[in-house]
Amino acid sequence: MSIVRRKLEGVTYYDPAKAFNGYTLLTPMGSTDAWLINIKGEIVHHWRLPYLPGMHGTFLENGNFLYAGQTKALDPALKQVGFIVLGGRGGEMLEVDWDNNLVWKWEDHYQNHTFARLKNGNTMLLRWVRVPNEVVDEIEGGLAGSDVLESGEKVMWADGFHEVAPDGRIVWEWLPWEHVNIKDFSICPLCTRREWTHGNTVFEMPNGDILTSFRSQSSIFTIDKKTGKIKWMWGRGEITHQHDPSLVDNGNILVFDNGNHRQDGSGVSYSRVVEVNPKTNKIEWEYKDDPPGDFYTSIMGACQRLPNGNTLISETDMSRIFEVTRDGEIVWEYISPFYNDCYHDTFGRICQLFKAYRYSPDFPGFKGKDLNPKNYAIENRLLGPDAWENV
Amino acid sequence: MAIARRKFHGTVFYNLSKAYNGYTLFTPLGEKEVILIDMRGRVVHKWQMKNPPALHGELLPNGNLLYSGQKSDGPLASFFGAGGELVEVDWDGNVVWKYEDPYLHHTFFRLYNDNTMVLKWVEVPKDIASKVKGGVPGTEKDGVMWCDCLQEIHPSGRVVWEWKAYEHLDPEKDYICPLCFRDQWTMASSIEVLSDGNILVCFSRINTLAIIEKETGNIKWQWGSGELSHPDAAVMLSSELPSGEIWERGIDRRVRKGDILFLDKGLHVKNLPLGASRVVELNPKTNEIEWTYLENPLPDFYAPRMGNCQRLANGDTLICEGDFGRIFELNPYKEIVWEYVNPYYHRFPFYGRNNYIYRAFRYGPSYKGLKGARLEPVK
Repeated sequence: MSIVRRKLEGVTYYDPAKAFNGYTLLTPMGSTDAWLINIKGEIVHHWRLPYLPGMHGTFLENGNFLYAGQTKALDPALKQVGFIVLGGRGGEMLEVDWDNNLVWKWEDHYQNHTFARLKNGNTMLLRWVRVPNEVVDEIEGGLAGSDVLESGEKVMWADGFHEVAPDGRIVWEWLPWEHVNIKDFSICPLCTRREWTHGNTVFEMPNGDILTSFRSQSSIFTIDKKTGKIKWMWGRGEITHQHDPSLVDNGNILVFDNGNHRQDGSGVSYSRVVEVNPKTNKIEWEYKDDPPGDFYTSIMGACQRLPNGNTLISETDMSRIFEVTRDGEIVWEYISPFYNDCYHDTFGRICQLFKAYRYSPDFPGFKGKDLNPKNYAIENRLLGPDAWENV
Repeated sequence: MAIARRKFHGTVFYNLSKAYNGYTLFTPLGEKEVILIDMRGRVVHKWQMKNPPALHGELLPNGNLLYSGQKSDGPLASFFGAGGELVEVDWDGNVVWKYEDPYLHHTFFRLYNDNTMVLKWVEVPKDIASKVKGGVPGTEKDGVMWCDCLQEIHPSGRVVWEWKAYEHLDPEKDYICPLCFRDQWTMASSIEVLSDGNILVCFSRINTLAIIEKETGNIKWQWGSGELSHPDAAVMLSSELPSGEIWERGIDRRVRKGDILFLDKGLHVKNLPLGASRVVELNPKTNEIEWTYLENPLPDFYAPRMGNCQRLANGDTLICEGDFGRIFELNPYKEIVWEYVNPYYHRFPFYGRNNYIYRAFRYGPSYKGLKGARLEPVK
């Protein structure tokens, strides 16, 4: 543990005049708790999950909490070496009400990373699909030979979608090799061929298109649900290993550019959040720290545009969430104190956050809910402002 | 600037009973001073230099500071580590020796016979450069690929031995990291002349550690390509410490003599794109990793571009996480017993305002180079 890096916890900076006053939802990946905190960092609500998050949860307008859980059991058919090494495993979708009562559930062992609750009430999942052998050889890039098991069998996984209705019917499905131009989808030269795509986002556009992000191609793109075709694609050569694209008010797309495996010869690892205009493919806004290396997460990472024009950014590796203005000024910074008993095989004792959300106080889901921190007096004494050693 | 991470500077942790008592030397990049601090972080001596570092200074056993300086008008000024001069100054900053060559870069090594091993860039002949594999296509510097040349310099300035990388490396097997530019083939980042006269070199861009046989110029051992991600600061552990110091009681027996200690910076890691560095101790006779240090949690130790590691007389390891200006001492149980953050910042073009350090060294109170020195906190 880097002493200086982990010394401070909780809200380490807050400018009340500039920050967007609201509630922040956290689902720390190392624990089975989800927390709602106010702008001062006081806990105002809590859900207890049956599983670790796979990878996060979101608070819905109907007042429920929808999340993906990392189930321990694996479908026996999946127990192949080529599958278990993939990151982002989920397995079960759960929707609970304010008091943690189960309202809906959907099991899918192939579900990974994320999901989206659609306007029509259905849920869109990102899920692993095994690439047919005849397609594997057509896919270029990646570390040669890494798709071959010891037995000589070729195993390559990719990502597809399922749209699931509340009654459990799968009403729409999408498989990448049926719709993409394989030449445009080669794998990053330093990445494994076990995974073709490594998808990590599901976002519903106002017209119903699905906006997604494939990390291995360093590309984000929109899928036309009616035809399955790709309508718009961008990213390769501009961003690398990105996460979490979303649409913002002015029609631009906001995306978290992780920046690892960037081929710019700089030798510096830094992340940035960029806003690209999909009509011109030009970057119209970017947030980069000064020095750039102070903002970097090798995996995951998220960004959310707030109603006041600021952007909420989740820097996963550092358990850090912060809010910046359009001019790049940090107006709120929070270091998550929720380590619990988490222990990740690769990352060690880390408190990663896949994505944090900020909700406005008048968000429909809060109607009639009690957000008084006094309801969590004990938790706040242990993990809230009184517990931090902030200067 | 990350607010919480940048709040503390100076000595942020010090376990008096466990840390190796001594003085730590470091050179803040971009500034023109070399700083010597005590364990509490108080400055006990400073050397004022004419030029900014390229990239550090070292305290020699003779009590002088040997420093690599950056000349602003160098022909390869855009390359990281570009220098141009080596300056040796005494305790009070008077220049005692100087060597200039516009192609000097990164580092140097003062041998026991008072010669200095230096590192410089030379052009790779076009017919060889075109055969070198790897790297991002089309990224040569104005069509030229550079690589490293070692030269042994006599105090009079004469070159008494020379070794050019392109005459001894294999353009196919020694390929450039696929994500790096082809403007340099090897980008050597550290050199150490061993007690048998051979030279241990880190060729960062081809992810290779190599031992060059002085007599023949042949590479008698190499390892790392395909396994490492930009190594740096390789040193060989032996029964002797940098002259004057002796291993503390009982430590000598536990030192795996002949092992190579180095920093694997981790900038371009295969498969899982992690942002983490590690310190590795490798047995070159078996190519087995004997000891490794990875921080927990992993991303808490990340030095993608600069840093070094030094084994101390008490068995601890001093590690410099240069990109974040952080120096810490780790004991064999992987406990941090001392941690310091460089408070000297400099604004760099593109890289912003940083407290970068390239190398940090700990000298025990019995170190020959500190004999008779005044070491009281400077105001």
